[in-house]
Amino acid sequence: MKKLNRVMCVEDDPDIRLLVELSLSTVGQLDVLCCADGSAALASITAFAPDLVLLDVMMPGLNGPQTLQALRQLPAMQGVPVVFMTAKAMPAELESLLLHGAAGMIIKPFDPMTLARDLQPFWKYGRGS
Amino acid sequence: MNTLIPFVLDILVVSDSTDSLATLYAQVLASGHEASTAQSASEALAYVQDHEPDLVLLDLENSDLDGFELTRRLRRLHEDRLLKVIVIASSHSDERVIQALQSGADDCLPRPVNAALLGAKLRYFSDVMLLQSRLARLAQRQLDIVDNIADAVITLDVNGHVEDMNSIARVLFDPRLPSDQAFPWQGDDFLNLLGVTLAELLTQRECTVLCTDGRSLEVDVRHIEWREKGFLRYTLLLRDLTERRAVELLQNEFLATVSHELRTPLTSVLGSLGLLAGGAAGSLPPAAMQLAMVAQRNGRRLSRLIDDILDLTKIQSDQFVLHQRTQPVGPLLVEALVASQAYASSLSVKLEAEGIDVHGDTELRLDTDRFLQVLANLLSNAIKHSPAGEVVRLRLSLTVSALRVSVIDRGPGIAAGFHSQLFKQFSKAEGDNRGGHASTGLGLYISRLLVERMGGEIAADAAVAHRSVGASFSVTFPLAYRPTLNTLAS
Repeated sequence: MKKLNRVMCVEDDPDIRLLVELSLSTVGQLDVLCCADGSAALASITAFAPDLVLLDVMMPGLNGPQTLQALRQLPAMQGVPVVFMTAKAMPAELESLLLHGAAGMIIKPFDPMTLARDLQPFWKYGRGS
Repeated sequence: MNTLIPFVLDILVVSDSTDSLATLYAQVLASGHEASTAQSASEALAYVQDHEPDLVLLDLENSDLDGFELTRRLRRLHEDRLLKVIVIASSHSDERVIQALQSGADDCLPRPVNAALLGAKLRYFSDVMLLQSRLARLAQRQLDIVDNIADAVITLDVNGHVEDMNSIARVLFDPRLPSDQAFPWQGDDFLNLLGVTLAELLTQRECTVLCTDGRSLEVDVRHIEWREKGFLRYTLLLRDLTERRAVELLQNEFLATVSHELRTPLTSVLGSLGLLAGGAAGSLPPAAMQLAMVAQRNGRRLSRLIDDILDLTKIQSDQFVLHQRTQPVGPLLVEALVASQAYASSLSVKLEAEGIDVHGDTELRLDTDRFLQVLANLLSNAIKHSPAGEVVRLRLSLTVSALRVSVIDRGPGIAAGFHSQLFKQFSKAEGDNRGGHASTGLGLYISRLLVERMGGEIAADAAVAHRSVGASFSVTFPLAYRPTLNTLAS
């Protein structure tokens, strides 16, 4: 089975973008492309062809669920799992996010030393389903 | 009821005999009431119309008008008023008395009037009128309140037939002209209009009903059941939930925003420290590493504090909702043990289950997530306070009517003076910082609120609290499913 290799991260906060990039590339040895918003992600996703997309929920412009909906229209996204990143609020809200078709959830603050490892189960789950 | 304060009656004395009028007038004043006089029927009618006295003392002897006829006219004049009429008649035959009472008189006295008897009668009517006026005032006040509260109040019989509603109910639900609203609805026509059945209104806490303006209104429903001469009646209180829903939404949005705004910078801080301490930015000199660890530890603590405060805000809000369902308790306890295993292992503490039947059919009505949260809190406290190599036990015990889950450790126990502080906000015991897992002082307080909301109780067990070694915390719930004698025996 193919390894999780390429991750696209969509996150509006530049500091968190940097952290995700360091966590996934320096610590996790993955190929990472970070985008600052939903439209940037839509523009570059086909060329980058990620194995998994890490998506912030609360963003200006297109928010997480809206970005997910738009991404799902693209052929490049066939079978690519999407994991939301959220500062968890209500359990009901988390449930509704999963109903949007996400493979899983990373709760902020996340552990940067284990982030790459923490994404593995979602990638497998996403592939399998 | 307290002794009645004498109610001074305003009395009109009517007689066409000057002597009789003077005598009666003096007798009324002597008995402590106020008197006015009239010497003819027309004068009497005019006076009653203008001054509304409490009582008319009517001497019929030489009346230009038939005295019984005057009584009837007085009655018609003030049909809804509590005017009393005492007729004085010279012939005290039963027939005359009956005739007087049938004309509408309240009582009849023989002439010549005995002053003591008149005084006694007036005292009696004064008591009756005082009670009547109190009742009338009370009824009016009640009507004012019911008509001015924001809730719709509707009284129905068992067939859904409306007997009464307040003004807000009329405004919201009665499409008829105000002039027609005095007439009763036929059968359950009114409920059909609302689009609900009586059974729905009586069994559901919240309903959607139709308003006359076409809106669907979400309402909170409360009902009072009462009987009148053996017939069951329901008084329903319907409260518009529109505003509460809006507040709920605002509060949820606020919490989500606060949560996001606090956690985003914390994510960067903790992330950077994690990468530094993890060596992702190159190895650090020992002193710098130590500082990075201090910052990281405290950042995590801040993060937990934010979690707890947000959680507490949510639980304490009026809109907090538990998702309770009846479920077997065994699997939940196992899940709680599994979830705490990693933390226990990190401190070399063993977890043991006692009396837990994974496949048992002992059921409780619980909110799964919140119950697990409570157990996680109790277990983490017990683990934190246990010396390495010791055991923390999760014990399930059952009585006929209740189920108890206890978390028992063999740590230093609870200091005598701290016992009363345990379940309060921001209460922290000494030596709480073990394993870099300093508590926020909110855990037990949150657990208490959650357990109580789910209908249970939480306590530090007294027997253990006084022992030198160990502490034990228990949550007790009434059983959702009561074992019958048969199931107990088997």
